[in-house]
Amino acid sequence: MSLTAIAAGIAVFTGIGAGIGIGIATAKAVEACSRQPDASGKIMTLLILGGALAEATAIYGFVTALILILTQ
Amino acid sequence: MLSDLSERIVSEMNTETVFTIPVFGGIGVDEGTVVTWIVMAVMILASFLLTRNLRVDHISKRQAAVELFVTKLEGVVLGVIGPDGQQYAPYLVTVLVYIGFANIMGVFGFKPPTKDLNVTIALAVMSIVLVQAASIRKRRVGGWLKSFAKPLAIVTPFNILDLFTRPLSLCMRLFGNVLGAFVVMILLESFVPVGIPAVFSLYFDFFDGFLQAYVFVFLTSVYIKEAIELSE
Repeated sequence: MSLTAIAAGIAVFTGIGAGIGIGIATAKAVEACSRQPDASGKIMTLLILGGALAEATAIYGFVTALILILTQ
Repeated sequence: MLSDLSERIVSEMNTETVFTIPVFGGIGVDEGTVVTWIVMAVMILASFLLTRNLRVDHISKRQAAVELFVTKLEGVVLGVIGPDGQQYAPYLVTVLVYIGFANIMGVFGFKPPTKDLNVTIALAVMSIVLVQAASIRKRRVGGWLKSFAKPLAIVTPFNILDLFTRPLSLCMRLFGNVLGAFVVMILLESFVPVGIPAVFSLYFDFFDGFLQAYVFVFLTSVYIKEAIELSE
């Protein structure tokens, strides 16, 4: 049990990458919005697309951790 | 206490078979299916009741509200897919409303159907089939096969791989997000039963649920737009 728990914990570390990635993307989007307020609609769309793709890695980590815990 | 909690989480995460149809040796009907029926019933009833007595002039407040709602949702999809994809908008808006509704079923005391991997896999497969069908329809079979070798012949394996990774990431994203929110809500409720969960439910059930419905439909629209764009 203990080793599986540690493995699941390590798998959830993928969240760090997604968090940093979405943070950078949002920061750049805010910057872009303040420079070009007219384009904010388009920037928002691109931000959500990028956020969704970046978030996928965190979700994979989470699903992996769940599978580790549930199948052991 | 902790083992109780983990047992409860595991039991909540399993999808139970509600009843069994006694043909072909018994077909199990899962909880996700039954909750989907409830969602369908509410949606069909709502659209039936709201679209009675539609008029061209002197419209009622109800009709104005419904028209605003539908136009806004179609605008969301059409803004991504462009005017060429008008014919795909009704399907995409239906999926948007269904996933949005399904994600907030947790508030009404049901398990959200999108927490069941089978449901999200079905939705993702439907999306990717629609994308390929749209591509074949626009470019014919020859053009569709050729589109795999674009922009360069060397990317062909990756384009073929995309056929499988796209639906995989679509269904895993929706499933993981809904399940994650569900587990966090259970943890919260078991530690603080009153008050705090309601606040977090706003974020995890409503905001995250609607955002994921939007992301799912948005990505499908992007794929369709990519498939029906003719680049020579």
